[in-house]
Amino acid sequence: MAALPRSLVFGGLVLALVAFAALFGPMLAPYPYDQMDIMARMTPPDAAHWFGTDEFGRDVLSRMLYGARLSLLMGVGATFVSLVIGVPLGLAAGYHGGRVDEVIMRAIDLVISVPPILMGLLLLSLSPPNVWKTAAAVGIIYVPIMARLARSVTLEIAREEFVLAARARGERLWYILAAEILPNAWPPIIVEAALRVTFAIMLGAALSFLGLGVQPPSSDWGLMIAEARPFIDTAPWVALAPGVVLCITVIAVNLVGDGLREVLDPRLRKGRG
Amino acid sequence: MSDPVLRVENLSITYASAGGRVSALEDVSFEIGKGRALGLVGESGSGKSTTALALLGLLPREARIGGGCVQFGGESLLELSEERRRALRGDRISVVFQDPFTSLNPALTVGRQIGEPLVLHRAMSEADAGAQARRLLAEVGISRPDEVARAYPHQLSGGMKQRALIATALACSPELLVLDEPTTALDVTIEAQILDLLEGLRRDRGLSILYITHNLGVVSRICDDVCVLYAGRVVEIGASADVLYHPKHPYTKGLLASLPAVRERKRRLAPIPGRFPDLASPPAGCIFHPRCHFAAARCATEPQALRGAPSVQQVRCWRADELAGIDWPAPEGASPATATTAADSGAALVETKDLAKLFRIGGMFDRTTVRAVDGVSISIAPGEVLGLVGESGCGKSTLGRMLVSLIEPSGGSVRIDGEDLATLRGGALHAKRRIAQIIFQNPDSSLNPRKTVAQILARPLVLFDLARGGAIKGKVAELMDLVRLPLAYLGRYPHQLSGGEKQRVGIARALATSPRFIVCDEAVSALDVSVQAYVLNVLAELRDRLGVAYLFISHDLSVIAHIADRVAVMYRGAIVEEGPVAAVLDPPYHPYTEALLSAIPEVGSGAGRERIRLRGDAVEQDGVVKGCRFQHRCPRKIGAICETDAPPVLDAGRGHRIACHIPLGDLRRS
Repeated sequence: MAALPRSLVFGGLVLALVAFAALFGPMLAPYPYDQMDIMARMTPPDAAHWFGTDEFGRDVLSRMLYGARLSLLMGVGATFVSLVIGVPLGLAAGYHGGRVDEVIMRAIDLVISVPPILMGLLLLSLSPPNVWKTAAAVGIIYVPIMARLARSVTLEIAREEFVLAARARGERLWYILAAEILPNAWPPIIVEAALRVTFAIMLGAALSFLGLGVQPPSSDWGLMIAEARPFIDTAPWVALAPGVVLCITVIAVNLVGDGLREVLDPRLRKGRG
Repeated sequence: MSDPVLRVENLSITYASAGGRVSALEDVSFEIGKGRALGLVGESGSGKSTTALALLGLLPREARIGGGCVQFGGESLLELSEERRRALRGDRISVVFQDPFTSLNPALTVGRQIGEPLVLHRAMSEADAGAQARRLLAEVGISRPDEVARAYPHQLSGGMKQRALIATALACSPELLVLDEPTTALDVTIEAQILDLLEGLRRDRGLSILYITHNLGVVSRICDDVCVLYAGRVVEIGASADVLYHPKHPYTKGLLASLPAVRERKRRLAPIPGRFPDLASPPAGCIFHPRCHFAAARCATEPQALRGAPSVQQVRCWRADELAGIDWPAPEGASPATATTAADSGAALVETKDLAKLFRIGGMFDRTTVRAVDGVSISIAPGEVLGLVGESGCGKSTLGRMLVSLIEPSGGSVRIDGEDLATLRGGALHAKRRIAQIIFQNPDSSLNPRKTVAQILARPLVLFDLARGGAIKGKVAELMDLVRLPLAYLGRYPHQLSGGEKQRVGIARALATSPRFIVCDEAVSALDVSVQAYVLNVLAELRDRLGVAYLFISHDLSVIAHIADRVAVMYRGAIVEEGPVAAVLDPPYHPYTEALLSAIPEVGSGAGRERIRLRGDAVEQDGVVKGCRFQHRCPRKIGAICETDAPPVLDAGRGHRIACHIPLGDLRRS
């Protein structure tokens, strides 16, 4: 086995760091996430508050460390949901074509035609809010994107002669989809999934802002950015710190996605076997 | 002789690649006189397209010109500014690329595209250019130029598109026409029409032609001179008559020996062993010596230079004179490529009766039905090879796929071992799939790029429970042996194999279930001739050793003639002629078979025979077929009966059947 691609190693390390923060954040945080200090409202970063404080005088660093868990859950959880539902739907539509394709794709058009926030409201307003439910709702909102992508890739691969060869020897449907088509469909899906993690964190924040996700005073990066927006010119650090961390996380996820693509695709591996 | 139109001298080109600079062309020299045609021949990777791109100044950015010069009409092309070159392109030098299906812009009318160079280079008005475009279309043999000029590319057939592209290239009356595999994507009957057209243009306009191709038959048909490239080096150059009939370089001899010929039934073809050299680290000495049958010790150390008088026949081989007249050797001890079969000895292995397939095409509202296969009855005996020949779109692949239940028939039946596939379900159908397998055309698409050779070959064994545990490894090794691939390849992924090697893995995969019948769907069409010969030999050997029967589908009658015992000729969904190879290749012929045979460009078939040309292209087949399918293009149509009545099947004896209204006696007098 050749050395792992550098992007995978680097991205993996950064992600591990974020995951570490998510797991042990509460122990590392210098202050409780909800401790207010009205006297120290919106203090710029200093020795006591490394990343400053927000409009209630809460420590930004502590809130960020606490928020890592919910943010990752939202981003990764929602993407996972969209993959688990969307990819099989796309594979089935692309491979079978005809009526199966017609039914699945029209259903998906229906989902797309509802604006994402409205869709989220629709899915979440029926029962009391809960972070898991929000993640699942965001995942469902992204199902059409995953399904369409998987379908278009499958359409192309299903025409390849190795798929015909598998059919000619009477392979079962699940084998053709899982062992012949899916391994070749992964690369674009992984790239898209890495992007989705970011969007899911932001959409989750938007839903939280409407009271349908993370409930204040709990913290979450997306929610922190959303809450800090009114003060962006007087106290930019409140939005900047979670923004930068979110950005770094996204880059790391993309690097890992890239690296995975390279590992999964023998054609991209360096050197000859 | 007057000054040549084009003179290429010592041209060298290198490409930047991951493994350092690769020499794509080295020391290439040739010239083309006024009104002459030079064929630039070589297999894929030989550098023939690079040469064309260099002349046109269209080399990709990674390429660098290492030396040499190109003289065109007294100017040195390589030194011209980009501005001046652009003025030359499409004006004094024009080019026709390989694929007529993608070379025209689908959003513009054909007339507009032909007139474009006139507007650009001659500053003509749109209206004048349009008028000139229609004259050009008439000149390239399009019968209704006004109509075609207004048409969009998707409304034209492949042959008409290629004519339109040639018209575009001729628009500014160029001195030099560069043709890069212009007929490779076309059917033989259409190819023959295009070659006739080019021959006429050369005669009438005094055009000089650089004709790039891998097909030696085409070269012998229209080129005065030929230049054989191998790995970026000219290995032999001279007059076509000399080089093709008295080849001096071992590579040229090998190429010619690899060609299957319709007229001459060889026992086994003589392929060139080994692989194309890695140009990043070319072999020392003669570049061809690792694959050369005649290599001697000196070949490995001494780089070869072109020898012989310029303007006669030059060869890059020091043993050329010594080897004069000695042919590239054929493999020994082989039984004939085609065996006399026991076709009459009872039960057929595969049998179809009135097999039909209708496709519905079009959108939700206006659908039409296409009869891809229309009432085909064939039978294949155990161990027999039935060749199925026909042009693109005639339904031959659909027929092949129905035999291995990849496509469900719309009518008729397929029987394998006496059992009707349509009545089989579950386990019984599974068992039939084990017996009947298929090999596909495209080596790049027939293997899953994510699986190693070992995984690909093991899968059918596991699926059909033919081996378990450790025994799988042994079976896989056996399969590799059958197709003569080294075991070291087991860990490789498809992209690490050459085209011919991939195709052999595809064959091994089909053989894994020990089938008794294999559909070979254009199984050698995408391969270079030397590789094609090798794969054909492997297939013929497997038939002899394992007694596998093939349905061998191909558009290439010479390949079919080489490997098949019997031939079926298909036209627009139906079999028009069927019989033992020798009977089909000799009179009496179906008029279509006769035209196919006459259209094949082959080395050594040029002189003497009268050429039969078909008019037009195969017409789209819709709904109902009335009368004979071939009536629209038939050169021997006898009258109204051809339009109204389906032709009777005439029996010429020995299982030779022809579907035609012309009486057998008349068909014999062709």
